[in-house]
Amino acid sequence: MDKEYKRMLKKFFKNPSGVFGLVLLIFFTIVAIFAPIIAPPQPSNQYEPYMMPIVTWSPDPQPPSKEHPFGVSERRDIFYGVVWGTRTAFRIGLIVTGVSTLIGLFIGSISAYYGGWIDEILMRITDIFLSIPFLIAAIVLTTLLGTGLDKVMIAMIVFGWMGTARLIRGNILQAKEEQYVLAAKAIGVSTPGIIIRHLLPNTIFPVLIQASMRMGSLVITAAILSFLGLGAPQGYSDWGAILNYARNWMLGAHGEALKYWYTIVFPGTAMVLFVLAWNLIGDTLRDIFDPRLRI
Amino acid sequence: MTAYIIRRLLLLPLVLFGITLIVFGLFQMLGPDKLLSAYINPNLAEKLSPEEMEKFKDKYGLNDPLIVRYGKWISSVFKGDLGWSLVGKEPVLDAMKKRIPFTVELALYALIPVVGVGIWLGVAAAVRHNSPIDHFIRIFAIVGWSFPDFVFGLFVLMIFYSVLGWFPPGNMSLWAEEIFKSPAFKHITGLPSIDALLNGQFRVFVDCLRHLVGPILTISWLWWAYLLRITRSSMLEVLRKDYVRTARAKGLDERTVINKHARRNAMIPVTTVAGAMVIGLLSGTVIVEAVFNRTGIGSFIATAATQLDYASVMGGVLFYSTILVLGNLIIDILYAIIDPRIRLT
Amino acid sequence: MSVLSEKTPILQVKDLRTYFYTEDGVVKAVDGVSFEVYEGETLGIVGESGCGKSVTSLSILRLLDEKGRIESGEIIYKGKNLLELSESEMRKIRGNEIAMIFQEPMTALNPVYTIGDQIMEAIILHQGLSKDEARKLAIDMLRKVGIPEPEKRVDEYPHELSGGMRQRAMIAMALSCNPSILIADEPTTALDVTIQAQILELMQQLQKEYGMSIIMITHDLGVIAEMSDRVLVMYAGKVVEHASVRELFKNPKHPYTWGLMNSIPRLDIEYERLYAIPGTVPDALHFPEGCRFHTRCEFATDKCRSEEPPLVEVSPGHLSACWHIDRLESAVAVQRKGESA
Repeated sequence: MDKEYKRMLKKFFKNPSGVFGLVLLIFFTIVAIFAPIIAPPQPSNQYEPYMMPIVTWSPDPQPPSKEHPFGVSERRDIFYGVVWGTRTAFRIGLIVTGVSTLIGLFIGSISAYYGGWIDEILMRITDIFLSIPFLIAAIVLTTLLGTGLDKVMIAMIVFGWMGTARLIRGNILQAKEEQYVLAAKAIGVSTPGIIIRHLLPNTIFPVLIQASMRMGSLVITAAILSFLGLGAPQGYSDWGAILNYARNWMLGAHGEALKYWYTIVFPGTAMVLFVLAWNLIGDTLRDIFDPRLRI
Repeated sequence: MTAYIIRRLLLLPLVLFGITLIVFGLFQMLGPDKLLSAYINPNLAEKLSPEEMEKFKDKYGLNDPLIVRYGKWISSVFKGDLGWSLVGKEPVLDAMKKRIPFTVELALYALIPVVGVGIWLGVAAAVRHNSPIDHFIRIFAIVGWSFPDFVFGLFVLMIFYSVLGWFPPGNMSLWAEEIFKSPAFKHITGLPSIDALLNGQFRVFVDCLRHLVGPILTISWLWWAYLLRITRSSMLEVLRKDYVRTARAKGLDERTVINKHARRNAMIPVTTVAGAMVIGLLSGTVIVEAVFNRTGIGSFIATAATQLDYASVMGGVLFYSTILVLGNLIIDILYAIIDPRIRLT
Repeated sequence: MSVLSEKTPILQVKDLRTYFYTEDGVVKAVDGVSFEVYEGETLGIVGESGCGKSVTSLSILRLLDEKGRIESGEIIYKGKNLLELSESEMRKIRGNEIAMIFQEPMTALNPVYTIGDQIMEAIILHQGLSKDEARKLAIDMLRKVGIPEPEKRVDEYPHELSGGMRQRAMIAMALSCNPSILIADEPTTALDVTIQAQILELMQQLQKEYGMSIIMITHDLGVIAEMSDRVLVMYAGKVVEHASVRELFKNPKHPYTWGLMNSIPRLDIEYERLYAIPGTVPDALHFPEGCRFHTRCEFATDKCRSEEPPLVEVSPGHLSACWHIDRLESAVAVQRKGESA
C-alpha cells in the first residue's frame, strides 16, 4: 500500500498540470495565512478585518496607484478585498465541501448497505433534491433564511450532498460483492464495522477526487450568489461581491473602452486561478486513480 | 419504445407533485405573517390592523392545517393564481408570462452551439489523441471549466460592448421594444426573434440576435469545456473497444469507423450528463440575465430573492423545476433512441 | 525453413517484429516470428496470454493501436507485401480477403446496430451489392451458420442473442465476403463447453465448403488438436516450436510445449496433483536474457541463461528452439514408459 502511494505521488509530480495546480494552491494558502501582513487592516478596522476599508468618498472607481495597487471600486480598496477574499474563498470551499461530503457519505453508505426500502426512500429523496437546479435551490433557500455568507453556505450544503451520496452508493454496491467484504460478513464483523473498516477505504478515493473537483464549482456558486446580492454584505471581502460592484460600470460603459478594467480583472483573475488550481489537482488525481484512463 | 415513452409520461405528474410538495414545504418555514405578503398588495397590507390581518390569514387559509393549505395552494396554482409579485407589481403569472419567452429563447438558442461545438471538439480531440490539437483542446477545456460564467460574461461585456460596441446588454433596443410592444406586432410563436421574422420586422430580428450573442457565448463557453471533456474521454474509451476493431477489420474506412461505429456509442455516456447540462443551462440563464441586464425568469427570480418576494420566487422555482423535469424526460427518450439496450418494454 | 514445401503458401510471415511503445518502456510483443499458411489448411498458434499470438494476427491485418508499431519483417499475401500497401489498398484486403473473428462476441459486435446492419456493411462495401441484395445475403449467411429464424434475427441487436448465437453471427459476418483466410482469435474461449464444440464443428464444416485457410489462435491445446493441421507454439514473443499437429503431440521438442501438454488433465491417469508450468510468464518489458523460457524450465543450464537458441529444423518438418532437446526427449521417454507400464 505504501509503495502504491509512492507510485501515485510520483505520477502526480510527473504531471505538469497537476504540479501547476498544486503551486497555485500553495500560493493561495500562503496569501490566506499571511493576509494580515500582506494587507494589514487599519486600526479602526482591526475587529472586523474582513470589511474592505473605505478609502475615498468619490463613487467612481479609481485606477491602480501606489497606495491601491489593484485600484478602487465602490470606494473600497480592491487589493485588500482580493487578499482577504482568499480567506473567504477557502472558508466557503472547505466548509461546504467538507460538510456536504460527510452528509453524502452518510446517506450514500446507509442507502447502499441496507438496500431495500431504506435505499428506495433515500434515493427518491435524493432524486427530489436533484430535481431543483442547484443555483435556483440555493437562491430559494437564501431567500428563506435571509441573505449573508453563512446562509449561502447552509443553502449550498443542503443542496450539495446528492452527488456524493450517489457516487458512494454506487461504489459500495459494487464493493459489497467483492470477496473480502463477503469474507468479513462470514466471520461476523458488525455492520458499522464492515462499512467503516472495509467498504469506505476502498471507495473513498473517488469521493475525495470528486470533492476536490467540487471545491472550484462551489466557490463559483457562492460567488454568484454574492454577485446577485444574496451573499456577502456590502463591503465584505469576497471576490463575487467585488465583481458585483464592477457590473454597474460595465453595463453603462459603452465608449469608455476598458476604463474600468481593473474592477473585473483583479478579482476575476484571482477567482479563475483559485478554481483552476482545484480543478487541475482533481483532474490529475482522477487521471491517476481512474484505471480506465490509465494506459 | 412507445411503451417506454408512455410510462415515462405517466410518471411525470408524480415527479411534478413531488416538486410542488418540496417547494410548498420549504416556504412553510416562513410562518403565516411573511406568507401573507404573497397574497396581498403590500401597499394595502401596511394599512391593515392586526385584526384585519388575521381575517386575511383566515381568508387565505394561513391558519389552516398544512394539508388543507397545500390543497388550497395547489388548486389555486391549477387555476393560474400564483399570488402577487412585488418585483413585477402584478400577479406572478402575468409577470412570468412576460419574461418566459426571453429565457426560453436564450436557452434554446444556446443549446445549439453548446451541444454542436462541444461534441465536435471532443471527437476532434479524441481522434487526434496526444497530438498538439488534442493538447490545445484539453487546455482550453480545463481553463474554460475554471472560468466562472459570470466573470466570463463581464469580460464579454467589457470587450464586445465597452470596447467594440457590437453586442449591447438588455433584451432589445428601445426602438425595437416599441415595435415589439405595439398592437400591430403579432405574437405567434412567443419567441421574440422568431415572431419578429414572422412579422416581417427584419431589423427587430437582427436587434434581438445582437442582444443574444453575448449571453449565448457566455453560457456556451463553460459547457463547451464540459461537454468536450466528456465526449473526448468517452470517445477515447470507445475507440479502444473490440467492436471498433471489428469495424476496422471489416475494411471500413476511418471516417465510417469514427462517425458510424464509435461516435454513436460515445454519445451514450454523454447523454447521461445531459441532465446536468440542462441544469447548467437553466442556472446559466439566471447568471447571464443578471450580468447582461436582461429581463427574463432568471433575473426575475434573482431580483425577487433579494427583495424577499416569496410568491415570485415560488413561481420561478416551479417554472425551472418543470423545465428540468421535461428536459430530463426528453434526454431519457434520446438515450433510449441511441442505445437499443435500454429500450425495455 | 518451409515445413510443407510441396505447396505454395497463400500467406507468408517473415521475421515479423511488432513493438509497443508504452510510458514504461518498449514492449517487444512479437520479436522475429516467421511462418506460412497454405491454401485450405488450418494453422494453429498456441501460447499463454501475452505471448504475442494475438498481436501477430493483428499485425497481419495492420490493426494495431496507436502505441504499436511493426518494426520490421514482411507479410506476403498472394505475392504482395501487406506492409507496403497503402491504407486504402489495405482496406480492400480487410474483411474481403482476410477476415477476422474475435474472442468476445459480446464486445466485438457493436451494441447499437442490428446484426443485419453489421453484416450488410461489409457486403455493401466489398461486393457493391444493393441494400436489398445485401440483406438477402446476410440472411443466407445467418442461415448457413445455423441461426434459427434468420429473417427475424437479422433485425435484432447483439444483446438479444445468446453468446453462441453472437459468435455464429460474427462468423457469418466474417465469411460474408468469402475471404481466403479467416483469422480466429480465441473464438471459443468465452463460450460454454458444449457451445464451443458446436462452433468448432461449424468452422470445420464452413472451411470445407468455402475452402479458406484458417489461422486459429488459442491457448487451448485441445482446440489445436481438434482443428489444426500444423501448429506454431509461441512463448514471450517468439516461436519456440513449429510442427504438424500429429508430430507435435507425438514428439514434443520444446520443454514449453511439453509443459503445456502436461497441464491438460487426462482421464486415463491418476494424479497426485495436476501439473502446472512453474513460475509465470515474464514481464514483457524485461524478457530474460538467453532463452526466454529458462526461468521456468527444468532443463535450463548456464548456456540457456546466456545464449538464445535459434529455431532450427530438428527432424523433417519439425522446428524447435531449444539447446537441450536430448534431455527433454529422455524425460518424455521416461514419463511415457511410466504411463504405459
